[in-house]
Amino acid sequence: MEKKFGVYICTGCNIGESVNIEKLKKNTAGGGGVPADVIKEHPVLCSPEGLDIIKNDIAAGTNTIIIGACSPRVKYEEFDFPGTIIERVNLREFVAWSLEPNTESTQSAAEDYMKMGIIKTKKGELPAPNILEDLSKKLLVIGGGITGLTAALEAANAGYEVVLVEKEAELGGWAAKLYKEVPREYPFEKLDEPLVFSKINEAESNPNIKVFKSAIIEKTDGQPGLFDVTINTKGTSETIKVGAIIMAAGWKPYDATKLGHLGYGKPNVITSIQMEEMAKKGKIIRPSDGKEAKKVAFIQCAGSRDPNHLPYCSSFCCATSLKQAKYVREKNTDAIAMIFYKDIRTPGQAEIFYKNMQNDPGVMLTKADVTGISDGGSGNLYVEAENALLGDKIKVEADLVVLAVGVVPATRAPQEYLDGLTEAGKKGDDAKNAYVTETPKPEFILNLTYKQGPEIPSLEGYYGFADSNFICFQYETRRTGIYTAGCVRQPMNMSEAQMDAAGAALKAIQSVEHVAKGMAVHPRAWDTTFPDPMMIKCTSCKRCTEECPFGAIDEDAKGTPFYRLNRCRRCGTCMGACPERIVSFKDFSVDIIGSMIKGIEVTEDEFRIVVLACENDAYPALDSAAIKRIKLNANVRIIPVRCLGSTNLVWVTDAFSKGIDGMILLGCKYGENYQCHFVKGSELANYRFSKVKETLDKLQLESDRCSLMQVSISEYDKLPEMINDFVTRVEEIGPNPFKEF
Amino acid sequence: MAEQVIKPDLNFINDVIASGGESLKKCFQCATCSVVCNVTPEDKPFPRKEMLQAQWGLKDKLLANPDIWLCHQCSDCTAYCPRGAKPGEVLGAIRKMSLQEFSVPGFMVKMVNQPKFLLVLLAVPALLYILIIASQGFFGDVSIPTEDGKIVYGKFLFSLYYVDTVFTAIALFAAFSLLLGITKYWRAMSAAAPNAKGSFGKALSDTILEILGHNRFRKCEVTKGRATAHMLVFYSFIGLFITTILAFAKVIPEYFEHFGTHLGIDQSLLDGLTVIYKILGNISAAALVLGILLVISNRFKNQEKAGLGGYYDWLFILLVAGVGVSGLLAQFLRMANTVVAYPTYVVHLCLVFFLFAYAPFSKMAHMAYRATAMIFAKQAGRG
Repeated sequence: MEKKFGVYICTGCNIGESVNIEKLKKNTAGGGGVPADVIKEHPVLCSPEGLDIIKNDIAAGTNTIIIGACSPRVKYEEFDFPGTIIERVNLREFVAWSLEPNTESTQSAAEDYMKMGIIKTKKGELPAPNILEDLSKKLLVIGGGITGLTAALEAANAGYEVVLVEKEAELGGWAAKLYKEVPREYPFEKLDEPLVFSKINEAESNPNIKVFKSAIIEKTDGQPGLFDVTINTKGTSETIKVGAIIMAAGWKPYDATKLGHLGYGKPNVITSIQMEEMAKKGKIIRPSDGKEAKKVAFIQCAGSRDPNHLPYCSSFCCATSLKQAKYVREKNTDAIAMIFYKDIRTPGQAEIFYKNMQNDPGVMLTKADVTGISDGGSGNLYVEAENALLGDKIKVEADLVVLAVGVVPATRAPQEYLDGLTEAGKKGDDAKNAYVTETPKPEFILNLTYKQGPEIPSLEGYYGFADSNFICFQYETRRTGIYTAGCVRQPMNMSEAQMDAAGAALKAIQSVEHVAKGMAVHPRAWDTTFPDPMMIKCTSCKRCTEECPFGAIDEDAKGTPFYRLNRCRRCGTCMGACPERIVSFKDFSVDIIGSMIKGIEVTEDEFRIVVLACENDAYPALDSAAIKRIKLNANVRIIPVRCLGSTNLVWVTDAFSKGIDGMILLGCKYGENYQCHFVKGSELANYRFSKVKETLDKLQLESDRCSLMQVSISEYDKLPEMINDFVTRVEEIGPNPFKEF
Repeated sequence: MAEQVIKPDLNFINDVIASGGESLKKCFQCATCSVVCNVTPEDKPFPRKEMLQAQWGLKDKLLANPDIWLCHQCSDCTAYCPRGAKPGEVLGAIRKMSLQEFSVPGFMVKMVNQPKFLLVLLAVPALLYILIIASQGFFGDVSIPTEDGKIVYGKFLFSLYYVDTVFTAIALFAAFSLLLGITKYWRAMSAAAPNAKGSFGKALSDTILEILGHNRFRKCEVTKGRATAHMLVFYSFIGLFITTILAFAKVIPEYFEHFGTHLGIDQSLLDGLTVIYKILGNISAAALVLGILLVISNRFKNQEKAGLGGYYDWLFILLVAGVGVSGLLAQFLRMANTVVAYPTYVVHLCLVFFLFAYAPFSKMAHMAYRATAMIFAKQAGRG
């Protein structure tokens, strides 16, 4: 494509009042090397009249458009011209709203930004999607409980074919084992009949759903749109191609045999699961003698919120015990139900059910630390507790004790096994082999053929749950096209699980639809670019295969990395990782960013600081600061990057050898509560950054000239100060000696 | 701390609910009530623990608990309760149950607190006076003697026999019954909290001072003005008590005369005494009526926040109001020299009889139980 440039400057929103537009046009044309006649201005470029100027030029052959106006994060519908290369230069937020108007520094900032925009379009190319062949839009749902059934039905009713795999002989999961359910509707007074059976019937009779029972996933190969899933049904294998996977593998109750301190093992101490079975059979009895239980004690958090067992809250046990208290009261009006809790946690509408249950005189609740269960003779028990308001040390007689046991996600055992394997692997092959032979292998769920491992990678601090750590993308996993829902993701009740299922089904559908268009999925859901490595220069160092947060890069038999493109989320981590710098995107490459940095005008009397800002949080935070008109040092030049993980250290060399005085890598928070949209990007950047000192030492520069900062999107108000302080520090160090060269 | 065995009692919970604590179960133990309460001791504050004990039906702990009487039902707790559990009303119900638990004899407690027995209870003084009046022949030919054509109640019902004797007997009965009740209560409290070992004398004098000043009661915020109304009624009762003593002192020479002995007391002294107790009596009666009207108006004003109260409360309030109003009326009608004065006087006597004879079983007994609990609490260091 021969590029025909068009540069458009909006003078509205304070831009015209802050910058000398004529000078900007002149110097942009001169510095950027584009013909001056295609540089136009308009007081309201986003107005129909303003847009018409651009559209008319496009009709006349302009195909590469540089728009100096507001942030690219706004007005993207207005400034959308399909088939053209478009670059928005953020004159409004980064210049007009952040800098002192009409100063020379402000003018040169505006000129630098325009120039960098032009360089980017000159170096970049028009993205064209890479759509793989023979894509499937079929969805695989793993798990036939309430979550899996709901996900399957939601997807099937939206017109997608679904394969539903259940490892038990019957569908329904835990939901089918309940006597009754916590009320689902206002006024939340009457217990509901289990809902799952109608869903089972619906799923089994839905022509879009193919059900496999007593079946497990033997192998999951491929990538979104092209997953080859081998399903083993009672020993017979069958491979099916699917586009995306919803993992609703569910949970197991915590192993009550570990709760001896709460009396488990005594005949009249049972779990909440056993209580459901008992209620389903009929009477609430004492297992020891079959007599009706008159005083039933419920011990909440039995093993939950306990660092020795499950450190977390399982979310629904409080409502479950309140429900079971109602079993006790409804089956025998003389009977009482006593609930000992750490805190009653009844999220959402369950709170109303809690209120209703409280009002029953025969349901007694107290906060207490249960210390044990002792025998009271003839099958009776004493619940012993401390720190209760009823007394510092109390004993309460009960004839049946129910332990409200928590949720253990189905992913926990495989994750623990695999984490153990990794640890053993670090100690050498012998340790690894010993681990494999000595440790019983748990049931895997996905059996992925990914180089990075057969299951969803574990997330620090999530106790084996396959959660995402993203508020906005809760069904995400680090395996693109595989979405988790229900209790495998987080402890949740059945109505939440059904909402979760619908959400995950939508994400799975979005995934197959995007793959069909050659687009990335979240968070770059519009992106049709893709990593295009110059393989001839690849040294098979495999850094990319290890660092890719999504396991998108596998190795062939010879050990050469290759992309499973549909797994890629276009963060550019591979681009930042590659020591040979062979990975490029059409509009984002080592060369493009490097050239932009080099395009910054460096003068001897002024400092220049480059900020490489992550587009996901840091860049919006800078925009927000600008909207608040918080002033930024005018010597700062902000360059957005897809993720700090895409930062290639060569840019640091580029900048400092050019005479840039300081550099900031501005990324998301990392660590346990990371906010990186690509999971590990800013963490990897930090790791690479530890090598920056070497680079700077080689150039004989002070390592303080370069800094990596973490910022969360809500810290926008502090961000300009953080940057300005850094500039002051660099000014104290003095100008970059390379300026002279 | 010794291990306590908790024995939940479903029946007791149902009783508390039936006694006006219907919101009891709504409490979810957040402790807002204990935090906002101005009158609770800081250590082991009420009413949160009482709410929990009531939810578990821990009758023994609640009824023998002095804290319930430290509460003046300001209803700060009720106003701030996020769950609508109305701890003020629940404690009110528990106070009533505690008082009824310890009062003797038990059948009287039942009768006084059930509306169906109201007429029976009223019939006792009514029949008594009807019999007395009949025995004087006033229902027949005998006309009521007057003094120079003016009504003098002493000529109608000779006060020594028909007022003083009757009411002294009643007062003794009530006092004895109350004493038995509070003794039981004290024993129960001592059993529940054996470590309360402060000075009794100090606790007693502090309690008297507190009651005289209504110091604790005046800390109420949400239902302001109740302390003032209560104080009016309280002091008017004291005023009327003094009036009664003075009046009794004044009639003593009359009794001796009646039995043929002259004490030789100067008539002007007796006249002076009469002036004093008449002034005191009238002021007290006016204060009583005003006070009880304020009580009633407060009840309605605070209905939302503190509840209107039940039979137990209203029987007592209306009785006090009735005593005050009928007393004043009896005086004015006598002065107006109208014949209606006689039945009004009889009604007044019946109401006073009711108020005092049934005091140990009605809300009137709160004065004894509250004072007892306050002494006990102060002795236990829960001033």
